[in-house]
Amino acid sequence: MKLSWWIKFLFTSFLILMASGCSVTTREIGSDEKVIYDEGYHFSDKKAIVADMVDSLLTRPPLFQSVDRPVLIVYGIANRTSEHISTSAITDDIRQLMLQSGRVRFVNKVQRSNIESEASYQYGGNVAAETRIQRARQVGAKYMLTGTLRSMEKEQPKQFRLKKKTLMYYSLNMELTDIQTGLIEWVDSTEIIREASKPFIGW
Amino acid sequence: MIFSYGAGLPSLWRSSLYFILLALTFVSLTGCAGQLTKAADYYHSDHPQQALVVLNEGDHTGKRNELLYNFEKGIVLHNLGLYQKSTNQLLKAIKLIDRNEVISINEQVSSLVTTEWLTTYHGEYSERLWAHSYLMMNYLLLGKYDDALVEANQALKRLASHPNALKKDYFTRALIALCFANLDEDNDAYIVYKKLAEDLQSPTPVAADLINSARRLGMTDEVNKYRQYLPPHLPSGEAELVLFIANGQIPKKLPGNVVLPKSIRFSFPYYDNNKTSRPGIKILSSKVYSLPLLSTDLGDVARDCLAARKVKIIAKETLRAASKEAIAQAVGNNSDAAAEALVRVALFLLEEPDTRSWLTLPGRLTLVRIPLPAGEHNLQIELSGDNLKRHKVIELPGIKLRRGQRVFRSLKL
Repeated sequence: MKLSWWIKFLFTSFLILMASGCSVTTREIGSDEKVIYDEGYHFSDKKAIVADMVDSLLTRPPLFQSVDRPVLIVYGIANRTSEHISTSAITDDIRQLMLQSGRVRFVNKVQRSNIESEASYQYGGNVAAETRIQRARQVGAKYMLTGTLRSMEKEQPKQFRLKKKTLMYYSLNMELTDIQTGLIEWVDSTEIIREASKPFIGW
Repeated sequence: MIFSYGAGLPSLWRSSLYFILLALTFVSLTGCAGQLTKAADYYHSDHPQQALVVLNEGDHTGKRNELLYNFEKGIVLHNLGLYQKSTNQLLKAIKLIDRNEVISINEQVSSLVTTEWLTTYHGEYSERLWAHSYLMMNYLLLGKYDDALVEANQALKRLASHPNALKKDYFTRALIALCFANLDEDNDAYIVYKKLAEDLQSPTPVAADLINSARRLGMTDEVNKYRQYLPPHLPSGEAELVLFIANGQIPKKLPGNVVLPKSIRFSFPYYDNNKTSRPGIKILSSKVYSLPLLSTDLGDVARDCLAARKVKIIAKETLRAASKEAIAQAVGNNSDAAAEALVRVALFLLEEPDTRSWLTLPGRLTLVRIPLPAGEHNLQIELSGDNLKRHKVIELPGIKLRRGQRVFRSLKL
């Protein structure tokens, strides 16, 4: 075996490695464009999930029949997947679309302590009495919006192959509970199933 | 013999020089990892701040050791109580682990005629799991219970990929169950506790948890089955203080060698047989007792994981030895014995086992759960361990607990 062949091979390998690391590209992506790199959760999934849930909430009872713009409170979506997914981003978008529909109102749970501190400040002696907010006039929520995001992952069994296939299943279950009666008044779910394959070998 | 550089230099001598240069490159590669060793030495001699300074001095570790850099920094930050920063560092490590799943042909070919040190460090199976263990601890300490559960799910996947090698990591498995139980995911907690009960010498350490989750799931047969394993005088309380106790130092990976005639050298890493014993834990406050402890000797698990990788290591070593022998013979066949000897020396020196490992890991991790009544508590805990000359008393003041709440603390002996 010629030694020079080995040296050439090694040198060529290094050159290919260096060349492959040289190019950097960027491009703008529209918010409606569906971009999926792997089997994991993507921003386009959030849009699909939110659209499904808002549509179901507004076209089915009890909100479908309401004429008095019922008040809702969001108690968040529990993340039970194996990915760090910001579920508050889902509830923020749901709240935004539902508010924009003009059919419901929301209590601002996240800002409660800030509201309390602002109210205390107004009654601390620095604010003119006629401009102060009135205490004990906050609106109580009629419904509570909650949910659970779950995922299941299935990998191809170990065998000789060049690519690893993964099947990912996401399901978001949401429910609307009447706070006075404790009854679940609406429930729905949406699913995403995706398969991706990843190579075992690369440069 | 007189050497002269330039066009007159025989091609085989040039080749010999090439391999000698590679040997020198190898020496510089091991030097990169030295920075991490220095940080680990500071860390284990109770100077985590200095360890952090060394790690922050810059990226001296190179891309190949990036994973180790993130591992080491993650633990140092955890020990300094900077749990969010530690989390960010360890999440980077997890990303690298996933990215490194793709085998680089370039690296593999290069390392086949040189050394394993040229390859990117992928982390032992155990180290990949412990990254999730520390992330679970960090998230629990930060009160981010949903995120702790995400890590528990990821840790379960790691466990499932190498179940036998990782079986003895009772601490991580109990931590996974705790993440589930903490969010009332009884079914998942039950499954983890059940498997733990099967793998432990006796189900006693998990019997109470198993019974609690089985009862909530309506499995009366399981409740009756495990009742006999309940320890006598089991403490109970409205709330719980959970301590993560790290003691000792994980055994170092050492170089092992087998040399065959004609300079063929097989090298392989191994862990020494050092054990880290359980820390002695005594709660000095009256009428406060802990639940049965669950503990992992990290050295035991690391040894099992390296053993599980043995076949792959031997296969690659054999291939490397064959490649190097072919190169040396090719030089010899071209009639220059001195050049062959030089190449053989260079290749022999290059054959150094990859002894890189996560150095700041403790020798043992122990999960201590202390049931307490709701309210504020000032606790004193006496700890003793291998590395403590005398008993150490740790003050835990102002532990505020609501009914049903768990509060977490991390301690290093």
